[in-house]
Amino acid sequence: MFRRRSKAVVALSLLMVALLALSGCAGSKNDTAAPTNTTDSKEPIKIGFLGAKTGDVAMYGLNTLKGLNMAIDELNKNGGLIGRQVKLVEEDNAGQKDQAINITNKLISQDKVVAIIGDPTTGITRVAGQIANSKKTVLLSAGATGTNVVEIGPYVFRDTLLDTIAAPATMKYIIQDKGWKNVALITSKNNDYSVALSKIFSDAIKANGGNIAIEEFIQDKDTDFSGQITKIKSANPDVIVFSGYYTEGALIMKKAREVGIKAIMVGGDGLQGDDLMKIGGDAVEGSISYAGFSPEQPTANTEKFINAFKAKYANELPDLFSAQGYDALMLIAKSIKDANSADPEKFKDTLAATKNYDGVSGTITFQASREPIKSPVYLLEVKGGKFALLKKVPVEVK
Amino acid sequence: MAMKKLLNNWFAQALLFLLALGLTAYVSQVINDVLPPYVLIIGLFIGINLIMALGLNLITGVTGQLSLGHAAFMSIGAYSSAIATVNYHLPFLLGVLIGGLVAGLFGLIIGFPTLRLTGDYLAIATLGFAEIVRVQFTNMKITNGAIGFLGIQGSTTFPIVMTIVVLTIFAMVWLENSRNGRAMLAIREDEVASSAVGINTTLYKIQAFAIGAFCAGVGGALFAHTTTFIQPTDFGFLKSVDILSIVVLGGLGSIPGTIIGAIVLTAAPEALRSLSNYRMMVYGLLLIVIMIFRPYGLLGGVNLRQVVRRALMWPKKKQSGGRA
Repeated sequence: MFRRRSKAVVALSLLMVALLALSGCAGSKNDTAAPTNTTDSKEPIKIGFLGAKTGDVAMYGLNTLKGLNMAIDELNKNGGLIGRQVKLVEEDNAGQKDQAINITNKLISQDKVVAIIGDPTTGITRVAGQIANSKKTVLLSAGATGTNVVEIGPYVFRDTLLDTIAAPATMKYIIQDKGWKNVALITSKNNDYSVALSKIFSDAIKANGGNIAIEEFIQDKDTDFSGQITKIKSANPDVIVFSGYYTEGALIMKKAREVGIKAIMVGGDGLQGDDLMKIGGDAVEGSISYAGFSPEQPTANTEKFINAFKAKYANELPDLFSAQGYDALMLIAKSIKDANSADPEKFKDTLAATKNYDGVSGTITFQASREPIKSPVYLLEVKGGKFALLKKVPVEVK
Repeated sequence: MAMKKLLNNWFAQALLFLLALGLTAYVSQVINDVLPPYVLIIGLFIGINLIMALGLNLITGVTGQLSLGHAAFMSIGAYSSAIATVNYHLPFLLGVLIGGLVAGLFGLIIGFPTLRLTGDYLAIATLGFAEIVRVQFTNMKITNGAIGFLGIQGSTTFPIVMTIVVLTIFAMVWLENSRNGRAMLAIREDEVASSAVGINTTLYKIQAFAIGAFCAGVGGALFAHTTTFIQPTDFGFLKSVDILSIVVLGGLGSIPGTIIGAIVLTAAPEALRSLSNYRMMVYGLLLIVIMIFRPYGLLGGVNLRQVVRRALMWPKKKQSGGRA
């Protein structure tokens, strides 16, 4: 009799402990959050950063942060924003969805940020965007290029060069300008970016009068592509279009050169990584990919940014993510200034009205759908082991 | 007389169960309205991880079968519940149940061939199974492949998770103290000896596997309806390791230990946020220190029932002399 009852007592007390622990840690969190509730107008405007500082995609997050910190310093040096200082609250989500959910909630409910910049990847932006939109906080991704992002709601934005704009422009160039009509298309089956991009590539190839001679599939982290490459060789394509990342791209081209394929590789901004040349060497020479940013042939505005960036970060050249991060923060700053209010409900409208903004990563216009149109598309070519500007393709705003 | 006692106990337990369930539903609802969303969401993830960890605790902790494929059952639950609620417009809770059942069914199917293996061999087999599942979800059309399953409603709430947590805890406590639970414990202690005394070891192992998979499926379903968007990469090997760490750190086979493990391992990365760049380093250090000082887990080898009883008895004895 006693044994049984004590079991029940244990179960119940455990439950209470668990609940108490939860409410206990909640209580203390509440206390620290309380003062920010009574924000007077001289308090700094807080902007959150959501992205990975550790893990597989840390490079994207860290480079975005560099651009963000530069923009914050610049704003504060010039007297802040509508009479208030600007403060960046940065958190690391390690590229994990559950951590990203925690952070988004923390930034909004505890830090009381007015806007969140991030995540650099599409997947996490979709998750965080849902939360930000429902809590009426602006979320601007400086990296998401996939579908179903801004459709989430009126508080979700991005300032990236969309694959749906850049990929067709690239295909038009290789098929119409270069005359490479016979295409071998390679997709990395377990890479969401690659699967989505291949769809856009294959539509654009058909639209421009090209022909997909052969379609092959690989997996990310594969290292042996002999089977696929042998089949591609027998199809004898003019060009190899690969929609995945640089590591696999480099290995594919090494194998292709080994079996005597002369065609070059064309791909998306996933090929933008110095490891492409480090791994690929001579095999990737001549490879073409697109990007939303290039430090070559800068406009006056971009040149100023590049010089300031080099001065701040030990002569390092900014990359796409730094430039888009900088633009993201400046876009939000401008919309707060225009609305003369740091209330997301107000400045989301001025942000959505952005037209022909002269950003350091190109001009940015938000369409009625809040989907950005950026111009130009930079086509880059690997030349002497470096990415070199091949062509700037202007994008028309309809 | 014995019958009466048993009835009494059953009645008392059922009453207590309903009381705890009602209390949790009520208290968590109150908490839900009071606490900031950041704390709530951490509590919610603690709950989800706990449900899955309790399932793994039954497999690895109680029955002693090392499984490295728990994330696979989680993904099966996540995807099947998402398909149920999005494609077939079923209610959320039914979707969670379906997620659990489908995962449990797979646990059963996988259990038959693999549970004839033991120890490291079983671990490798479950690892292979997890990979097969992940690759399968990457290539299926209905799951939208690598791009991921979009448009799931964010139906999971804190009270729902907490209620399911209490449900799971009670189920596990009852199971462990039942005939089946004793058999599972016997298998962990000595498989040969238990089969010699007439325990159908394969049957009980498969039972543990299926129930554990069911819990993982429920957890996965709740996870999918929290993140609203799932991809095969969310359920990689590291997710299995995460859940296993909860069980091992809490104390293999200990339900209170698993609870503490889930709270510590889920909340610690968030609590350490103020350390910014040193966060994961300190987190790793924490794991090492715990395992050095508590090699059997936080509550491993601690008979909590005895501890509590002693704590409750001691003052009573003092007051009422020799009674009881």
